[in-house]
Amino acid sequence: MLLRIVFLVISLQMAIGPAGAHPHVFVDAKAGFEVNEDGLLTALHISWTYDPFTTLFLFDALDLDSDRDGKLNDEDYAAILRGETEWGEGYVGDIYLEVNETVHPHLNPVDAQASYDNDQITIRFDLPLAEPVKVVGQAVVLMLYDPNYYYSYTVNDLIETTPLPENCDTSIYAFEPDAVTGDLLVALGTLSREEQPEQANVGRLFSDEVVLSCD
Amino acid sequence: MRLSWTIPGTAVLAVGFLLWAMVPWFELSQWAAAQQREFQNAMARALRAIRDGEPRALWLLCSATAAYGVVHAIGPGHGKVLLGGAAFASGATFRRLAVLTLASSLAQSATAILLIGALVFGARMGAGDAADLTETWLAPLSLAAIGAIGALLIWRGLRSFGRLMAEQADDHSCGCGHSHGPSVQDVTSLGTFRDAVGLVASIAIRPCTGALFVLVIAARFDAFAAGCLAVLTMGLGTASFNLIVAGGGSLARRFALAGQSAGSDNVLRLSAFFHIVGGGVILTFSALTLLA
Repeated sequence: MLLRIVFLVISLQMAIGPAGAHPHVFVDAKAGFEVNEDGLLTALHISWTYDPFTTLFLFDALDLDSDRDGKLNDEDYAAILRGETEWGEGYVGDIYLEVNETVHPHLNPVDAQASYDNDQITIRFDLPLAEPVKVVGQAVVLMLYDPNYYYSYTVNDLIETTPLPENCDTSIYAFEPDAVTGDLLVALGTLSREEQPEQANVGRLFSDEVVLSCD
Repeated sequence: MRLSWTIPGTAVLAVGFLLWAMVPWFELSQWAAAQQREFQNAMARALRAIRDGEPRALWLLCSATAAYGVVHAIGPGHGKVLLGGAAFASGATFRRLAVLTLASSLAQSATAILLIGALVFGARMGAGDAADLTETWLAPLSLAAIGAIGALLIWRGLRSFGRLMAEQADDHSCGCGHSHGPSVQDVTSLGTFRDAVGLVASIAIRPCTGALFVLVIAARFDAFAAGCLAVLTMGLGTASFNLIVAGGGSLARRFALAGQSAGSDNVLRLSAFFHIVGGGVILTFSALTLLA
């Protein structure tokens, strides 16, 4: 019932300026690639695990556990999936696939599942690509980031449902603050000036990278 | 003569700018974000403990929210710009600034409590209505009010300058005393109750996100009262950091005025100048965020 206020507060917080640049929602993510026998990347595998505080907030926002037994039932899981995977126009789930440094579009989630372990809600889904893309010899990078850095994603594991072709390999490059501190400082500076166009993508600079390389 | 007040004024600005540039904002914000995550998790644990009726839960929650308040306040937010700028401009005593800082943080907590209280318990006010209210009015209103305070400070500074000039022009013509000149009261601000209420209200209009979250979750677990207490301790945490900012502004002013005899024309000029600088910083900040 209070879902609207979540989005309201988030947009409000971002409109207010640099204080809003602190991430408030922390997501532990897993990610993977689906590459077929023809060497075409057809889909992405994604898993989001919300931090315990955001999980509690979702209890209210999505009106979960209405019988107050502390456990989630099928109805609750259905509500989570509705809330998390039915994306509005223009929202891409903070998931950006870049092929040779150009964003390659994906569709909305399919085959979504929700779970609740260790006081944290997890949503797992696949994202088919609008058009499968050849990956051999290409620079394929998957990034999970909120352009406004309200959500902070950390990719801490890979998902491999069907094994990748033998010539392909996936690795995670965690965001390293030290290596690019200079650039990031500048980027953070632009956060306070919301009118700067560069600001639109500042979250990317804080993003982990999942790299697929096939040769 | 003229140099005697522009030099310390410029020096303070230069030193302030240098200090600002030296702060490792990126590392600081990374650190604050990591701490915030920790304290957010601690708040989640405490809120679950409250739901499960554990005896120490309230204490756990309040200490977590207080810590969250401190780390969340790190970073250049609108309240801090106002408090720092006003402290620099106003010449108010540190004790007065401390009271105002505390009052504005607690009033901000109270706004969150009123807003979520109205959402949860107000039968007539739907979630959508309250959301629209905040979205359309409260956030821009807070920024506009802060900007207005900046403009007021600038105006006071300019007015004092004008009077000082008029006084100088008069000195050799009529010798009718200092009645046109600004008094020390004219070039200090935040001294009146009206100023104080204006400052506190402009900050308090906009509630803090973290506070809203805590209250919503607490209400969900039928522990709204515990949530209120926790949000007030969060305000205390925020105030403790903001005190440093207000103290810094006040200290910078004192440093610039060091060695000047109180009530002298130089002090009056510097004070007028600081009103314009402090007010300018506040007005620029709120205008940029409001227009963005």
